[in-house]
Amino acid sequence: MKLKKILQKDVEKLLGEAAKKWQTYVPSKNDEGDTLFAILPKEKDELEKALQRVNLKDDWVAISPKEIFFPQVENMFSFDKERITEEIETSKKLIFGIRPCDLKGVLFADEFFKRNLEDIYYLSRIEDRLIVTIGCNTPPRKEACFCTSANTGPFAKEGFDLELVDAGNYYLVEVGSVKGEEFINLYSAFFEDAGDDEAEKLNSIESDAKEAINVKVDFDKALEIMKGDKDLTENYKRIGERCIYCGGCVYTCPSCTCFNVFDDKLGDNGVRRRNWDTCVFRGYTREASGHNPRDEKWTRTARRYEHKLKYDYSVTGTSGCIACGRCLSSCPVNIGMSKFIEEITTNKRNM
Amino acid sequence: MKKILTTCIYCGCGCGLYLNEDRGLLTGAYPSVKHPVSKGGLCVKGWNCHEFVNKMDRLTHPLIKENGKFRKATWSEAIELIAKKFKAISSESGPDSLAFLSSAKTTNEENYLMMKLARAVFKTNNVDHCARLCHASTVAGLAATFGSGAMTNSINEFEEADCFLITGSDTTSQHPLIGSRIINSVIDRGAKLLIVDPRKIELSKYATVHAQQKNGTDVAWINGMMHVIISEGLEDRAYIEERTEGFEELKELVKDYTPEYVEQITTIPKNKLIEAARIYATTKKAMLVYSMGITQHTTGVDNVKSLANLAMLTGHVGFLSTGVNPLRGQNNVQGACDLGALANVYSGYQKVTDADKREKFEKAWGVEGLPGNIGLTVTEIISALANKKVRGLYIVGENPMISDPDQNHVRECLEKGEFIVVQDLFMTETACFADVVLPGASFAEKDGTFTNTERRCERIRKVIDPPGEAKADWEILCDVARACGYKGMDYKDPSGIMEEIRVVTPIYGGMKYDRLEPHGLQWPCLDENHPGTPYLHKDKFAKGKGSFMPRPYKEPVEFPDEEFNFILSTGRVYWHWHTRTLTGRTTTLERESPVPYVEINSEDAKELSIRNRARVKVTSRRGSIELVADISDKVVKGSCFIPFHFREAAANVLTINAVDPIAKIPEYKVCAVKVEKL
Repeated sequence: MKLKKILQKDVEKLLGEAAKKWQTYVPSKNDEGDTLFAILPKEKDELEKALQRVNLKDDWVAISPKEIFFPQVENMFSFDKERITEEIETSKKLIFGIRPCDLKGVLFADEFFKRNLEDIYYLSRIEDRLIVTIGCNTPPRKEACFCTSANTGPFAKEGFDLELVDAGNYYLVEVGSVKGEEFINLYSAFFEDAGDDEAEKLNSIESDAKEAINVKVDFDKALEIMKGDKDLTENYKRIGERCIYCGGCVYTCPSCTCFNVFDDKLGDNGVRRRNWDTCVFRGYTREASGHNPRDEKWTRTARRYEHKLKYDYSVTGTSGCIACGRCLSSCPVNIGMSKFIEEITTNKRNM
Repeated sequence: MKKILTTCIYCGCGCGLYLNEDRGLLTGAYPSVKHPVSKGGLCVKGWNCHEFVNKMDRLTHPLIKENGKFRKATWSEAIELIAKKFKAISSESGPDSLAFLSSAKTTNEENYLMMKLARAVFKTNNVDHCARLCHASTVAGLAATFGSGAMTNSINEFEEADCFLITGSDTTSQHPLIGSRIINSVIDRGAKLLIVDPRKIELSKYATVHAQQKNGTDVAWINGMMHVIISEGLEDRAYIEERTEGFEELKELVKDYTPEYVEQITTIPKNKLIEAARIYATTKKAMLVYSMGITQHTTGVDNVKSLANLAMLTGHVGFLSTGVNPLRGQNNVQGACDLGALANVYSGYQKVTDADKREKFEKAWGVEGLPGNIGLTVTEIISALANKKVRGLYIVGENPMISDPDQNHVRECLEKGEFIVVQDLFMTETACFADVVLPGASFAEKDGTFTNTERRCERIRKVIDPPGEAKADWEILCDVARACGYKGMDYKDPSGIMEEIRVVTPIYGGMKYDRLEPHGLQWPCLDENHPGTPYLHKDKFAKGKGSFMPRPYKEPVEFPDEEFNFILSTGRVYWHWHTRTLTGRTTTLERESPVPYVEINSEDAKELSIRNRARVKVTSRRGSIELVADISDKVVKGSCFIPFHFREAAANVLTINAVDPIAKIPEYKVCAVKVEKL
């Protein structure tokens, strides 16, 4: 389909319409100045207010959109003596305004939850889903974004249904799927064909956007190094010692999918839940005997980097790191993937 | 799906975080990016602070004990019983036969109401809370020397400091978002790190100097550092002259504390002491940081005063990135103190012994005859249950069975207690002893404010409804006051309580709710135009001139002897919070630290033939516990360390209830024990 455009002032109206039909998730800026994903309400007055908060500019959303399909805590099923009642969430979702790197993360997680055992809790949530990405003309996390190094941004190339690119007072709209095309047709009043010169404009916005990414590392070289047998123990030890084991890097990572399962019970009734888990915790690998193959801190640090840059790559053909930089920007002690890659590719100590 | 900004329930850092809600369930906690403390990050407890709220074993309705068993009761039944009993006890045995334990986990507004209930309704100053067990020495020591008993500087100033002197604070475990700022400053900016701590803590590996003093010898090493500073002429003469008083007495006292003498007492090699003293004295932006390792001693106030002396001597108070920085443990222990949940002061540290202040509060509260005697403190209140001096006790959100020293003594006292009310989220070890148990609302289920360690008063916000019939603590306290016939405790919401607090509490004068948006204000904040105070004692001390208060070294009450040959110190771990009521119900945290343990030095372990992870018995004169040995070089030979979180092997079975004579804080950090192989 041809490149489309939509006036920026019409996006609000479009979302107002779409919210009636879809459970619509948007980045929303609150009174406290933080931008987080929120569901647009259906009720008219509430919707009006919520639309004012939609923030498609360059703010940093601390948590990746994985939370929409894979919440930090979710009920799997409740139980009593008689029966088990599964909780499955299947709403029709429009995810509007996620970043290209986050899209990579979502697609990566999709694959994970399908790969071996089909995870019904996750897969039901993504069953009916439309994703509209927005390209990053400037990096939301200035000190941390390094998508150009991994070719995961600043604009998405595939996997989206629609992609918006900020072109001044309008967005250029690329169509990435049949579903995206149907969406445009459904709301055709808001969209018009972009002019012939707009493709050129898109290219020039993209090359400026690439320039705007401050952090640049040799990602491919890092993947090569991780494939080989270079001894990185010193790096792991130093970084592992610095780490305060908050779990933030894993919790915020768009492609991290580990979870723990636990029951909350009272008498014969209970509910089984799962919550985000992280490989940097000791209990993650501790065995029933008390023995722990990853007992020393640095071995857990090593595990995380090896999983992202070595194991994921060998299994899926793409790196588990999607270069969003959230691990760095959520880390109280400034540890991050980009810095690790810089260290191992340049032998320059930076953590 | 709601995401509402609130303040973390765990430590005094006071991180801003979002609680996520989905169909009545809390589904997560995320850091606020724009909040000045969290800045997009949290510690593991913060990330997981939502889980306990959802638990099915929350208390959901009032309980009354009959024939030794709890039965469900209605709110009016429970409240009427409390009012009837408390009034009867008071009229029979006088107001001071009642006592009230407030909570550093509840809001400012609730702490204010707790002390108002004790003082205005029941006319007793027997109201106290766990600050008594953590920073009572700070409040007393810093108020005496500086005129204000709080952390002088702010959390973000850690990012600019060039030197940290840290003593008795395992900062990365207990205040992770402050600990992380120290790590960043030391590694990335080359700030100097001086640690004086008997244990090897996480931060020790980055220390320029790590001096491991013998537990309980703090006054000696601090005096020793001052001796070195004065004898080398490194004191800040102009500052001393202009801003302090009492220097000559200090000089006289520390004359005897030569590095050699101090080494004898503390075991700190003299060169380390000298090096640390020089670095601290000669670095302009030097922050002194301390916590329980300083305060929880029978010499707690002396320790704090001595640190204050050291900071004044070197001119390290009253400027950015300097100061004396006691890190407050509980999320709202600063606020609970500020709001007068202490036996000797009303809100804003206004003394109950001051007749003008009493008159002011009598007028504000519409009552007569507020008592002018200082009330009983936490440990005194518990002990007074046994001899019936206290017959009625009201506990909100505290768990003395696990948190107070000498557990066997506490149990005996609680068993003897005539009428005990416990208001909490769960059936705690203490609630089991209650006659009435009331279900409170968690931090996610009510509005209010917490005040963090840097004196930042910030909002908490209601995200979900409390379970069952549970109610916010402030509502329950108002119900009790009404049932007792008092008319002055009717509020529509917590902001109304804050309006009253503002009128009677000068340092909170400007803390209007709308001004606390989005990230709070730091006290003193005197009026509606006041911007708050990031650091204290700028230009001059709160009390005018800072007072040097030289103190001589005194031994702890119980040093090891032949039979009880180990020094025991107690403390906390990164993963748990205090009595584990909340973190024990949090999957990730409980998994990380599921069992009680004792840290033992590897040489001692060898001598006693104890293997790592083997079970051992630790015994003091008060009792014995059995737990797992964790063998390392974290503690020095001859000492051991036990986290106090675990009911299964409660460290406080062993601790001594000797207290500081002024602050009445127990000596959790030193007692004598023996260790046996099982």
